[in-house]
Amino acid sequence: MKNDKTAGGALGLDVGTSRICVAREDGGAYKFRTELNAFVTIPYSKMTENVLKREGIPHTVQDGELIVHGNESEKFADLLNVDIRRTMTAGLLSPSEPESLSMMRQILGNMVGEENSPRKLCFTVPAPPVGAQDSLTYHEATIRQILTDLGYEVRSVNEGLAVIYSELESSNYTGIGVSLGGGLCNVCMAYLSVPVLSFSIPRAGDYIDLSAASVTGERANRIRLVKEESFHLNGFFSDKVHQVLGVYYDEMIRTLVQAMREAFAGAKTLPKLGRPIPLVLSGGTTLPSGFRERFEKILKEENLPVPVSEVRLASEPLHGSAKGALIAALTDL
Amino acid sequence: MMLAEAGTRNQAGERRRGRSAWWRGWRTPRVQELRMSVIEWRAESIRDPVERLRFLRNTVDAGTIAPVPAVRPARRDGRRMVHAGMAVAALLTVVAFMASPTSSTSLGTYPAHFLMPPPAPQPAGEEAQKVWQVEVTRDYETYSNGLRIEKAYETSGNPRVPYPAYRRRDPQLASAEMRSGPAGIVYHTTESHMAPFEPEENGQMQRIGASVLDFVRRNHCYHYLVDRFGRVFRVVAEGDIANHAGLSIWADEKYAYVNLNGSFLGVSFETETRRGEDNPEISPAQIHSARILTDMLRYKYAIPAGNCVTHAQVSVNPGNMRIGYHTDWAGNFPFTEIGLGDNYEEPLASVFAFGFDYDGIFVQSTGRRLWQGLRASDEQVTLQASVLGMPVPAYKRILRQRYEKILAATRAATQKGENNNEE
Repeated sequence: MKNDKTAGGALGLDVGTSRICVAREDGGAYKFRTELNAFVTIPYSKMTENVLKREGIPHTVQDGELIVHGNESEKFADLLNVDIRRTMTAGLLSPSEPESLSMMRQILGNMVGEENSPRKLCFTVPAPPVGAQDSLTYHEATIRQILTDLGYEVRSVNEGLAVIYSELESSNYTGIGVSLGGGLCNVCMAYLSVPVLSFSIPRAGDYIDLSAASVTGERANRIRLVKEESFHLNGFFSDKVHQVLGVYYDEMIRTLVQAMREAFAGAKTLPKLGRPIPLVLSGGTTLPSGFRERFEKILKEENLPVPVSEVRLASEPLHGSAKGALIAALTDL
Repeated sequence: MMLAEAGTRNQAGERRRGRSAWWRGWRTPRVQELRMSVIEWRAESIRDPVERLRFLRNTVDAGTIAPVPAVRPARRDGRRMVHAGMAVAALLTVVAFMASPTSSTSLGTYPAHFLMPPPAPQPAGEEAQKVWQVEVTRDYETYSNGLRIEKAYETSGNPRVPYPAYRRRDPQLASAEMRSGPAGIVYHTTESHMAPFEPEENGQMQRIGASVLDFVRRNHCYHYLVDRFGRVFRVVAEGDIANHAGLSIWADEKYAYVNLNGSFLGVSFETETRRGEDNPEISPAQIHSARILTDMLRYKYAIPAGNCVTHAQVSVNPGNMRIGYHTDWAGNFPFTEIGLGDNYEEPLASVFAFGFDYDGIFVQSTGRRLWQGLRASDEQVTLQASVLGMPVPAYKRILRQRYEKILAATRAATQKGENNNEE
């Protein structure tokens, strides 16, 4: 599989619980490539390995098993009727997955390739969950080490700040960036590009999937597919899965907005804002139609202490963080 | 670096006491608010998102953001910040500061990122077309775009040695990249006697032309000379140094260049300078030749259109810290006809990066076109000073100290190649 080694220039990398997205600049335009941050193991056979090689499916052989990672892992999981395994959970490297480190190394290596000459790369890190400031250290250091070993000059950027860098140029990078991914919702407020407050909450897409799965008796994978393919937040639900998804979406949004209200109200020093600031939503969890409107409605109900001029979706919700990381890397050139 | 930290680093007691009045004023919430408005206003003028972010990240840090004790809900009473008004207020603040006691300033005691404005996009001009050499003989060279270079007066000089190109990314300009290829072109006039451009004056014009060529050859004045009939003569080999722009300054989007003999090619027209808006005495044949010569050089050395400038734009006199020591092509160079953007609109790095001044005589000799660049330069200096909360003269003193350092560094770096024929 082609990686982005030959593209030249800086790279932006969004390392998410669910997906990893790499961004690069090509002829003045931003180009993206996304891989599922997951893998599945299948019993080893020479014939299966040959098929994987012939089809160019990224895989490794380990301890008598074939490990398929990235986008193709989902198909194999479906085929074998098993759940995919994740390298990360709740925004951080999974402590309960023994292969998380080696698989993360494989996936990242496959996506960005090894680099012989110094090349800048900026990757996203989540904000610490409220009250758990030190929990990021291992995760960030490990990803940094993997990428440094691949030959990159590495720096990191807060995920919410990356959304701001990607989407809020028009307000001089002043505003609130919210990245709603698989494991975490990341919030960052920046004033003239300087982050002044950031935090995360461990309720996001996966929480919705698992909660809905436990209520409906469906597999989490299936819930995710329904959510991504046909779910919408317009108040009318055609079946039970949609109805349950709507409930948990509402709960997640309200939890997030309440956390924002408390964080902003509790902040000892915030910049003096001369005018209301924009809030931009990014990430795969924002994709259902009607999400922005629902978020805005709840935001008004909760009366956020920071004046918000508008709530809008990122131009490309799945790529917002990676694009912001790339802009951070380019700025550092 | 924080401003407060910068203040404490000033070890000279007298100087510190002298600065304290305006320094205390700087830290008042109102002034901080004004300063942030100016920064925001500046940022909005930067179109490239990466450059804008870089400017903000270099200019603002967490400690410079004015905090408020508690967050207030949105005000909807129309008291929104009006940028232009705030900018004017910020400039008034500068005037207020000018009345405050200040003492000598020193490079290094101020936040470095205030010392260089972010680059503005340069006029693009036309894209350099592919040009290649077709024929080479002992007497001439021809090129695919019709250019013919006469070699009768060609001479060699001191070879060009690697010269420092100072990175604008480093606001102190302390980091330089050593480069060896030409980075730009400086256009000159010979300022020689001009016989009437009439058929009956052919003999006289040819005699004067030969005399001029002989003079510039002996003195290694330029790399190329375009005579009155549009003939292009190579005088100094492109790989050698010509003595065409000794004390001079230019900056493009990425680099600042000091003393352009070693870094820019010199192309001169056989003509003399006209003041202000007057049309130059230059023939269509000269314009055509200059265009195809410029095309060839731009393509050969990947020279951006923004680095094709006139001697008047780059010339400086460190003796009185004024620009425009030479005024050839001060206001009427045919940039557009030669396929370049109108570089007269460009702010001059000599002013905004190194604090040079200019006088009324120079303004009179330039005319409206170069005056646009001067005005842009002045605006940049005023804004930079206002962001720092300093009087403009004090800010210029800092820039001038930097020039002295850069000039010394450039001379040291290029000493081997230069023949010290600075003008």
